[in-house]
Amino acid sequence: MQSHTFLLVAFAFFVSVVFSLLSKDDLREQLRFGGMLFGGFIVGAIVLGWLMYPFPL
Amino acid sequence: MVLDARAPEVNLPAVCAAVAEDKQSGALVVLCLAAWAIPGAGHLWLGRRVKGAIFFVAITLMFSIGLAVHGRLFPFDFSEPFVGLMALADVSAGFLYFIASALGSGAGDVTAATYEYGNAFLIVAGLLNLLVVLDAYDVAVGRK
Repeated sequence: MQSHTFLLVAFAFFVSVVFSLLSKDDLREQLRFGGMLFGGFIVGAIVLGWLMYPFPL
Repeated sequence: MVLDARAPEVNLPAVCAAVAEDKQSGALVVLCLAAWAIPGAGHLWLGRRVKGAIFFVAITLMFSIGLAVHGRLFPFDFSEPFVGLMALADVSAGFLYFIASALGSGAGDVTAATYEYGNAFLIVAGLLNLLVVLDAYDVAVGRK
């Protein structure tokens, strides 16, 4: 439970599930949108993490 | 019985419609309160059982993880605007907030590495529940 990666993945998962159910009604669309959202969260966090790597200079 | 011609005419259909509207708005308020108090209850009420169950599990787990990783339930202190807003977001999680408060959870541990993660989980769980309440309202009035 102390793992930052676990917390990142758990957060992305739960938010993606709720958002996909709220915004889409068809199961396939929910899976597609939820998957994209989840992937976006994970990739975005990793990219932002690397961009912040040199800071503080 | 003699009808008085001067008596004002009652528009029966309009009265019936107004009464029905009053009843409906009362039911909507109860629905929204139930949806706030128990995450997913609004969707369960409206017959969307799978969605309601998933909302309940997802929001409850998020809130529980937030507490488990030393997140804090913020006090209603509006002298610090962000603290007050975070308290509003926390209380939006409904019964979870009140149970956690009653059990003395949510004191928060600023020295824990996961303190901020915990706060994010608690706040976002509450805010997601608000979105779920709005969605239940939209379903109830036929917008979705």
